[in-house]
Amino acid sequence: MEIVLETNNLEKKYKDFKALNHNNIHFEKGAIYGLIGKNGAGKTTLIRIICGLQKPTNGSYTIYGINNNSSNIVSVRKRMGAIIETPSIYSEMTAKDNLIEQYKLVGMPSLDGIDELLKLVGLSNTGKKKAKNFSLGMKQRLGIAMSLANNPDFLILDEPINGLDPQGIIEMRELILKLNKERNITILISSHYLDELSKIATHYGFLDNGSIIKEISSDELMKKMEHKIILTVNGPKEFVKYFEEHNISYEVMDSKTINVYGKYNLSKFINELSKKNLIADEVHEQEESLENYYMNLIGGSNND
Amino acid sequence: MIKLLNASFTRLRKNKLFWLLTLFSIGLAIFMVYAMYNDMKNYGDIIKLEQLIFNYSTSIAIPISIFISLFLGVEYSDGAIRNKISIGHKRTNIYLSNLIIILLVSLFSYILFMLVIFLLGMPIFGTITLPISKFIILMSCIFVTIITYSSIFTFLAMIISNKTITAIVSIMLAFGMMITAITCMNILYTPKTIQEAKMVDGETKMEEVPNPKYPSEKKKKVCQTLLNINPTGQMFQIADNSISNIKKLPLYSLGIIVIFTASGIMLFKKKELK
Repeated sequence: MEIVLETNNLEKKYKDFKALNHNNIHFEKGAIYGLIGKNGAGKTTLIRIICGLQKPTNGSYTIYGINNNSSNIVSVRKRMGAIIETPSIYSEMTAKDNLIEQYKLVGMPSLDGIDELLKLVGLSNTGKKKAKNFSLGMKQRLGIAMSLANNPDFLILDEPINGLDPQGIIEMRELILKLNKERNITILISSHYLDELSKIATHYGFLDNGSIIKEISSDELMKKMEHKIILTVNGPKEFVKYFEEHNISYEVMDSKTINVYGKYNLSKFINELSKKNLIADEVHEQEESLENYYMNLIGGSNND
Repeated sequence: MIKLLNASFTRLRKNKLFWLLTLFSIGLAIFMVYAMYNDMKNYGDIIKLEQLIFNYSTSIAIPISIFISLFLGVEYSDGAIRNKISIGHKRTNIYLSNLIIILLVSLFSYILFMLVIFLLGMPIFGTITLPISKFIILMSCIFVTIITYSSIFTFLAMIISNKTITAIVSIMLAFGMMITAITCMNILYTPKTIQEAKMVDGETKMEEVPNPKYPSEKKKKVCQTLLNINPTGQMFQIADNSISNIKKLPLYSLGIIVIFTASGIMLFKKKELK
């Protein structure tokens, strides 16, 4: 799989403050990469650097394999679209005029796709209404339409649902999924709305104090967040044999701990095990939310 | 670069500020012809057509500074610069395309003013009285100076990210250049002698005496150099027909254009954008 973005020990310092610290992320084509971090964690700084607005203090990054120190980095950005914090739109222009401007900027040979783009983002009926009179959601959608003008295959969205009402959030989510599925656009999306990200992201990068503390795929994360029973046992071998025979999803964590995934009635489950002479020393039941997972990660990283 | 220019022209056509500047140029030309016509009719003043054209050049920095700071200021306030960079345009090209658009608009607004003056003024005041070759040379100097203004104000607008601060600094600079030019000209035009009233045998007599405020040669040199370097000072010299060395003025202008554009590009390339 083609790596779209990779950062290598990326650092950004503003005087004495380190906004990014040995930042390493990577993701492949087709992913929706959710960059999660609290305010000030370094999400926007990372995006600004990737988009060429700021230079890293140390480290490097590659976009489609092109290093940021290469002169080709400017050309590779022609394959990108981005909304950084607020959408870049001329407030005195209509949605259509903004798109015409963007089409000219990216050098599209004709203006044919503009109506289709307006339809895609649900702004077909805005007519002569100037962008300054748009709602925040409309502005965000116009920003996305503009970032799609050059038919990018990599889209960067910095906090796209900030300030949107529930309806706007749903529309934005559907639009992002549509772009990823129908146009096969790889998307980097930063947010601190964990619930929203969990509905669309295929991969996650947890950012804290400028560093990526964990990268994980959505499947892995879901598994970790599944309802699970944690068994502390003397010898896991017999347990593993039983779980295999009964098609029970499990994971041996260490020589004494086995996680069993799935929803089971705890007393019935223990009974079944004891019938086979499988006695656990300790049994815990756990259900983790993305929030818990995130808080544990951040807590863990802060304790390090 | 072509894409950037193409997009900027598209934006220009839809830009209210540009049309306001265009209307201002036409309106000012009509007003000046009307005012001069009244002076000619009421006081018998002899009006030279070229004087009308040259006079506006002394204050053109003000409308230009307002236009540039607001037109380019929007590039930052609406995030257009950010957008241009993130979709793969080189910073040097962004800077130069903005400079080209600005200098074309500035020249256009002055040429439009000139055309209206010619169109309305020629039937009333007659044709230009200067030899055509001299008129062309002076007009060329004015055009080069307008490009100088464009490079200075573009520099400010591209380096200062805040539209309001850019507008304040640019307008203050435009007035500052004008005040400096007027001050230098006043010093240079200080008469060598003044008339002083003296009582001789109970009668008041006027006597020519050396002017204590007459500047030293060194001071005159400094003032003349300041006047030559200052674009508004150049415009005043052209309008006043008091150019000390006509070959020097475009050279000073070119120097300013090169310094401001080169340092502007260098600073813009290093600028950390938000």
